[in-house]
Amino acid sequence: MKRRVVITACSAITPIGYDKNDIIESLKKGKSGVGVLRDDGLLSKHIHSRVFGTVDYPINYDFKRQYRKTMGPVAYYACQVAKDVLERSGLSEEFITSGRLGVAFGSTHGSPTVQREIYKTFFSDLDSKFSSIGAVDYLRSMVHTTAVNISRMFGITGRIIASSTACTTSSQSIGYGYESIKYGMQDAMICGGADEYDTTTVAVFDNLLACSVNYNTTPECTPRPFDANRDGLVVGEGGGAVLLEEYESAKKRGAEILGEVLGFACNNNGGDLILPNLDGITATLRLALADAEMNPADVDFVSAHATATKMGDVIESQAIAAVYGKGPLVTGLKSYMGHTMGTCGVIETILSLYMMEQGFIAPTLNLDNVDKRCDMLRHTPGLTETETKIAAIQNFAFGGVNTCLIIKNGRDAVQ
Amino acid sequence: MTRDEFKDKILAILVDDFEFEEPGLEDNLRDDHGFDSIDAIELLGKIELILGFSFTREEKEKAMGIRTINDILDYVEAIQQSRTK
Repeated sequence: MKRRVVITACSAITPIGYDKNDIIESLKKGKSGVGVLRDDGLLSKHIHSRVFGTVDYPINYDFKRQYRKTMGPVAYYACQVAKDVLERSGLSEEFITSGRLGVAFGSTHGSPTVQREIYKTFFSDLDSKFSSIGAVDYLRSMVHTTAVNISRMFGITGRIIASSTACTTSSQSIGYGYESIKYGMQDAMICGGADEYDTTTVAVFDNLLACSVNYNTTPECTPRPFDANRDGLVVGEGGGAVLLEEYESAKKRGAEILGEVLGFACNNNGGDLILPNLDGITATLRLALADAEMNPADVDFVSAHATATKMGDVIESQAIAAVYGKGPLVTGLKSYMGHTMGTCGVIETILSLYMMEQGFIAPTLNLDNVDKRCDMLRHTPGLTETETKIAAIQNFAFGGVNTCLIIKNGRDAVQ
Repeated sequence: MTRDEFKDKILAILVDDFEFEEPGLEDNLRDDHGFDSIDAIELLGKIELILGFSFTREEKEKAMGIRTINDILDYVEAIQQSRTK
């Protein structure tokens, strides 16, 4: 049994806004969400990259203590966007708690903020500190904290998938959620990811010389995917969720169809855990098209992973060129907000949905001079008014994990 | 510490830290205030700080039968008495 899977609600907390209109405005006006790295009292003073994709606006959380007590900052993002999608969906409480709705949600490594406090306790060598290590700290910091805090807050009793594969975390969430519905294991899934403000991730990339350092006084000018003067990625924070539903039941209850997930692929490079791999990611893009039963020519828009690292963008360009030629428009959406890590797949999916609905595609920000090794693509030439029917969202992660989602415009999904 | 003094401290903790609204001494902690096993462990830690000593494993296991604030007061009173014997 194969069933159609549609997207019926979405929400994203991003460095370029939380409200849909704010995000669309940033995309249309080319406003960056990259700012200055904040002082964390620990690592930040040692990090050479002084930029970060920052959520710098207030969010009015309204969570009872009963739920807050097991939530670190990452779970606040996760539960807020999950709350939004459930409210927007109009799904009944009876359905939400029926076991037919599941959660596929993850983060890069739970809550580093809480982990930092735990480690201080672990290594204090004091009996009084040892006894203060509690279950709550673990629940707030653990790697599946986002998924289970969501399920607890809303009484969700269906399956839990807590992927944690760095940059492919939330695209895996969407992909595995899609497969859960497609093959009849669940009727709906809340899918997404979140990552909180965290300097440990920046430090890792900084030490790998993969972080941007040349634009510390002009944060809005970096990252620069595909640009000749790119100098690395910018880490960011945020959260995003989409609600996936089985098409017939969504249609029957009159749900708004924002898009349809047509295909998904995930594979591994089978070798090096860091270096980008042309064969691996080319295979991913082709596998996703095969799952969607589509030809490359059917795809109008490619949301590239495009972190703005020196080699990553070149290898990705070669893979896109090998699969699509110069067919679809290509944009690296991280140029607007940096790399939101475990969240990037779902945020880029939501931004693609917004652009498809509004009839435009935003260009890669800061792409002033295309690197010759990346110029074989059809880079989106400025703000482009266009009808996009099919979008491909691709993400690649440390560990050699690759994903690709094929998404159909919601208007075309309704038949 | 008298039972009344301890009661005031516990009520303050339940209101300030556990966000209880108008706690009553015979309220069911779980049903009336959503108090769960995680809260119980956290509260025991706070009681240990008030009393200035750590509970034994056996003493902690006895706390599993607590249902109301009066039960907490009885529990602490019993432990204090057993330790002064």
